[in-house]
Amino acid sequence: MSLLEVRGITKRFGSLTALNGVDVTLEEGEILGIIGPNGAGKSTLFNVIAGLDAPSAGRVLYRGRAIAGLPPHAVCRLGIAKTFQIPQLFPRLSVAENVLVAALYAAGAGLRHARREAAQWLAFVGLADKADQPAETLSVSERRRADLARVLATRASLILLDENMAGLNRKEVGAAVTLLRQVRERGRTLIVTEHIMRAILGLADRVVVLNYGEKIAEGRPDDVMREPAVVKAYLGEAHG
Amino acid sequence: MRPTLTAAIALAVLAVLVLLPLGIDPYPLRVATVIFMWAALAGSWNLLAGYAGVVDLGPVVHHGVGAFVTAALMLKAGLPFLPSALLAGVVAMAIAYALGTPTLRLRGAYFAIGTLALAESAKQLALAWDRLTGIPLTGGSAGVSLPLTADYHLFYYVMLTLMASVTAAALWLRRSRFGYGLRAVGENDRLAEASGVDIHGLKRRLYVGSAFVIAVTGGTAGYWLSYINAQEFFGTGMTFQMVVMTLLGGLGTPFGPALGATFLTLVSEFLGTRFVYHYLIAIGGIIVAISLFAPAGLSGLLDLPRRLVAAPVGRSGPGGGPAQAARR
Repeated sequence: MSLLEVRGITKRFGSLTALNGVDVTLEEGEILGIIGPNGAGKSTLFNVIAGLDAPSAGRVLYRGRAIAGLPPHAVCRLGIAKTFQIPQLFPRLSVAENVLVAALYAAGAGLRHARREAAQWLAFVGLADKADQPAETLSVSERRRADLARVLATRASLILLDENMAGLNRKEVGAAVTLLRQVRERGRTLIVTEHIMRAILGLADRVVVLNYGEKIAEGRPDDVMREPAVVKAYLGEAHG
Repeated sequence: MRPTLTAAIALAVLAVLVLLPLGIDPYPLRVATVIFMWAALAGSWNLLAGYAGVVDLGPVVHHGVGAFVTAALMLKAGLPFLPSALLAGVVAMAIAYALGTPTLRLRGAYFAIGTLALAESAKQLALAWDRLTGIPLTGGSAGVSLPLTADYHLFYYVMLTLMASVTAAALWLRRSRFGYGLRAVGENDRLAEASGVDIHGLKRRLYVGSAFVIAVTGGTAGYWLSYINAQEFFGTGMTFQMVVMTLLGGLGTPFGPALGATFLTLVSEFLGTRFVYHYLIAIGGIIVAISLFAPAGLSGLLDLPRRLVAAPVGRSGPGGGPAQAARR
């Protein structure tokens, strides 16, 4: 059984069709990249999988179970968690408490155990020394890492990273890619959207390309980037 | 302050308050009872607004239900006061569950406006109840009178217990699983949801719990004053007093509502007896001054010496000062 099967997902916002009959399948332990120009529907697809948006049509199966339409907290407790494109925090809770909330509620840990777990994940993303600071004092790259620690603390098997590297400099991107490989080595499955091609091509096993809400290509990163439809979507007609 | 020190000071104050009636006159005791009552009400409001970010402008619904159900149980069923008040609290919880299930899905200002309207509807319903249903309960605009039988010490201790319970709950929320969930909801509800927090379930548990305290306080106040009417017990004036006291004392702080209740009640007593017609103007001025100069409330002032001594200059600036807490 595949870990995740997205079948014929359509999402309309009024007259705008953000996703149109998208199919995606994902196996356990994979890193799947989702790329596409702005407005292609990447974030909408993530929100549908994570239960933040209900699809207009189609099914989402997680370990064979239909999850579309479940509330976000239920989806999270089943084992799907996402980071946010604009990194989200509980600003006046400490960095450690930000991660603690996920360990308490998504993973269902007791207070003592959850504190230990939060500290471990903060150390994993390299924020151990910031644990007691209010989260609102973190820099952009630290926020991205805190968000990742929170998602890891949910114990989710499937992690959705929505442009987790946006706003990072070259060196930070390199560190983030290494970190995400380590996450996979710990048995998590990842779906990654990214504008930074270099990062996603070096990270993903497989890539799905979206354009105007439709899947236009799928395959190994190097192959996909040579497909005429993909080149056209990114660079326009003259280059196609 | 460290949690153990805070708890020790709070317990010492509680011990003094328990023993206080031994040594003082009825009048100051009555003022103390008024303070405890407002501290319990404002404290319940603070649990929702200060911890979970749920601004409820209809807490008087529970207050009025508590008062009238307590009165009915005492007068019609002949039950003693305490069981009546506790049962009224349970009735208020059931009503809060039914009201909270749909309304708590509203967010922010929509919930505030919704509950404000709810309170007004509840008042009109209470005023018309006897006429509409044929079941005498609220006495319409004439209200209901209760017998003057209890010793004033009873009210002192009941109100003290209510205040202490709410304060203990606020302290417990700072370091419990439930409290972390609520604060997460208050800070960023979308993120809380995406972190596995059932925001609606959590808010409803708190809403129902606070309804119990507010209803028992209302029931106690009704028996104490020996006269209740819908106009006053469902009145929005009470709501705004809870809000003002909480903001004065410090929103989202465990002792803020009690401080605010003490301050505002004492100032009203002091000024009210001297400047019968103009004291409200002075109170307005004081409230404006506090919100200008101590936006985090009176608890923020209590914290000031510690911050000035303990915090390095760089951290007591805009990042960690009262201005920050005021952004709540």
